[in-house]
Amino acid sequence: MLRTGLLVSLVAAGIGLAGTAHAQQKTVYMPAILELSGAGAVSGTNFRDGMLMAIDEINKAGGILGHKIETPVLDTQSDAGTSRAQLQKVLDNNPYVVFGPVFSGSVLVTQLMTLKAEIPEIVGGEAAAITQKNNAYVFRTSFGQQFSMPKIANYIHDSIKAKSVAVVWVNNDFGKGGRDNFTKEMKDRGINIAADISTEVGQADFSADVVKLKGANADAVFVYLNEEESARFLKEAKKQGIKAPLIGETTLLGQKVIDLAGGAAEGVQGHVGLTVDAPIKAVQDFAAKFKQRFNYVCDHNGIKGYTGVYFVKYVTEKIGKFDSKAFAEKAHGITITPKDEPGILMEAMWDKNGDIDRESFLGEVVDGKQKIVKTLPMLSKK
Amino acid sequence: MRRLGPSALAIAGVVAIGLPFLLKPFGVYLISMWAVLTIAAIGLNLTLGYAGQVSMAQGAFVGIGAYTVALLTAAGWPFFVAFILGGALCFVIGWLLGYPALRVQHHYLAFVTLAFNTLVFLVLRNEEWLTRGSYGIAGTDRPSLFGFSTDNARAFYFVCLAILVLLSAATWWMMRSPWGRAFVALRENPIRALSLGLDTRRYTLMAFALGSTLGGLAGGLYAPLVQFIEPGSFSLNMSFNLLLMVIVGGSGRFFGPFVGALIAVLLPEWMRIAEGYYLIVYAMLVMVLMVFCPTGVLGLFEKAFRPKKAPPPAPATLKAEVTR
Repeated sequence: MLRTGLLVSLVAAGIGLAGTAHAQQKTVYMPAILELSGAGAVSGTNFRDGMLMAIDEINKAGGILGHKIETPVLDTQSDAGTSRAQLQKVLDNNPYVVFGPVFSGSVLVTQLMTLKAEIPEIVGGEAAAITQKNNAYVFRTSFGQQFSMPKIANYIHDSIKAKSVAVVWVNNDFGKGGRDNFTKEMKDRGINIAADISTEVGQADFSADVVKLKGANADAVFVYLNEEESARFLKEAKKQGIKAPLIGETTLLGQKVIDLAGGAAEGVQGHVGLTVDAPIKAVQDFAAKFKQRFNYVCDHNGIKGYTGVYFVKYVTEKIGKFDSKAFAEKAHGITITPKDEPGILMEAMWDKNGDIDRESFLGEVVDGKQKIVKTLPMLSKK
Repeated sequence: MRRLGPSALAIAGVVAIGLPFLLKPFGVYLISMWAVLTIAAIGLNLTLGYAGQVSMAQGAFVGIGAYTVALLTAAGWPFFVAFILGGALCFVIGWLLGYPALRVQHHYLAFVTLAFNTLVFLVLRNEEWLTRGSYGIAGTDRPSLFGFSTDNARAFYFVCLAILVLLSAATWWMMRSPWGRAFVALRENPIRALSLGLDTRRYTLMAFALGSTLGGLAGGLYAPLVQFIEPGSFSLNMSFNLLLMVIVGGSGRFFGPFVGALIAVLLPEWMRIAEGYYLIVYAMLVMVLMVFCPTGVLGLFEKAFRPKKAPPPAPATLKAEVTR
């Protein structure tokens, strides 16, 4: 009987019977559910570290409205089902806002729950569908694909002057969403899709895909893969001597990809929504602090995490209280400039759907570094 | 099981009914997931543990059941009709998958079923017109019972628990029927079973079909529980996880899947106190468990509680010599 009792108490402790300790005075509970293991570990870890930097800075300066930020970070294992379970765990403790996830599939499942609970969710996902569901509680920290793809399409049309393009994409919700938006933009501009090559998450060997790519003989190649797969693809493309320009969207030009790909990333071009190489002093200062603290070069996900926390701080100070509903109402249509809140790094605006608008960049990889060649204005300021 | 007796079952029943009233929604979600995965693991235990047919495709059947329910309920079909159809579809597909088992065994069969799992994943992902592909299906509704909605976490847990109890009772009954004994005979010595007049061909197919049906029924509950399904959820990982549940709990033991699913669902959550190392700690614990009790947790319990046998009496001649 004693043994049974012990077993029952162990089980109960494991599934959350024990009381929570977050309800301390003068703290605000803003948990994060992120991809710390699995296919999204690079993105999730960057997002987490960016967040932690912002939280430490804010807490050192007295917190938000005098409350220290309390942010436990829970791993989603890059899996939608686990994300759902972890979100339920944090919702049980009445959070003010929730940060993450970064993977779009995980955002699609968790956003249904935060909508029901009326808790704002500050996400890193880029799939177009995220902000097309009339959800008043989801806010992006980077461009959705419906905004980034027209920019990359203009670049291919106006600067590269390509008549045909091959698309290499990862067959998950992120890659498929990007591919669908990209091909639509290409058709609108009269550019022919010479090859449409889907690849697997975690794929190690890209030799067959690159052979197919060579056969297509396209004027340009658009690569839309996750970080590690991007690096493997670039190595194979270099090995097989692909001559057409390799164009990417943010990830392909990320420092992590450049480092993993070695020299194979040289000459890669594309659109970059967020980058630590942006010709903006605040961004570069942030990048230096990040490197000093974590000993690696931050990618765009780190900036998303960092600015996401400052976005919450600014909106909360505007409403003057920790009220999740009021936050969601106030955040729609808000514009934050670095003058208002230095931690936001670049002027940013959130529209009625929770989509973000800010300046973005055209870049190129030169000497193992991302080089910004042009700054594109905010969409709302064109 | 007989040693544990009805009192242990009664305690387990009281805990299963009372626990959700003490838990927050996250806890209720976890025990609901335990109930769902236990059903799938019971199915795999039937195929692998009792009938000895290695299957690495149970995750695919969970997927087929989940997609059947998600698509049919989205098209306006009643939940329980879709749920039963999902199970029936898996019965048919499971029967067909059983045919390779008539020709290959052991690790060769494992590869055949593994390939089937990959095939199902590719169909779910690529046949976008039917399954919505990589985007997945969100918002599968939970059923209403006699006008009462089970949208609430606790209400839906009781749906899962009731179905688990029903299916467990049916499996218990079956394992004590001639069918169950035929499955065990198939595992222990198929040639001898055949020589005794057992239709091993029919029972092999039946072991696959019934195990797969339970997988499909579990999937039918998985879709409304998680309320989002995507092909990736039913890749090889799910099959490996279910296999882990059966082995860790105790393959070929009726309550093995119950214990195995409890460990696979709860242990990673407990280990989260190890923060960044929790998956490493979880993996190491499972490895240690397997090293020290290859017959699973229930095998360990049986060993621990088995009454010590008296040493056999010494042979008469030896006794005489000792006396002398």
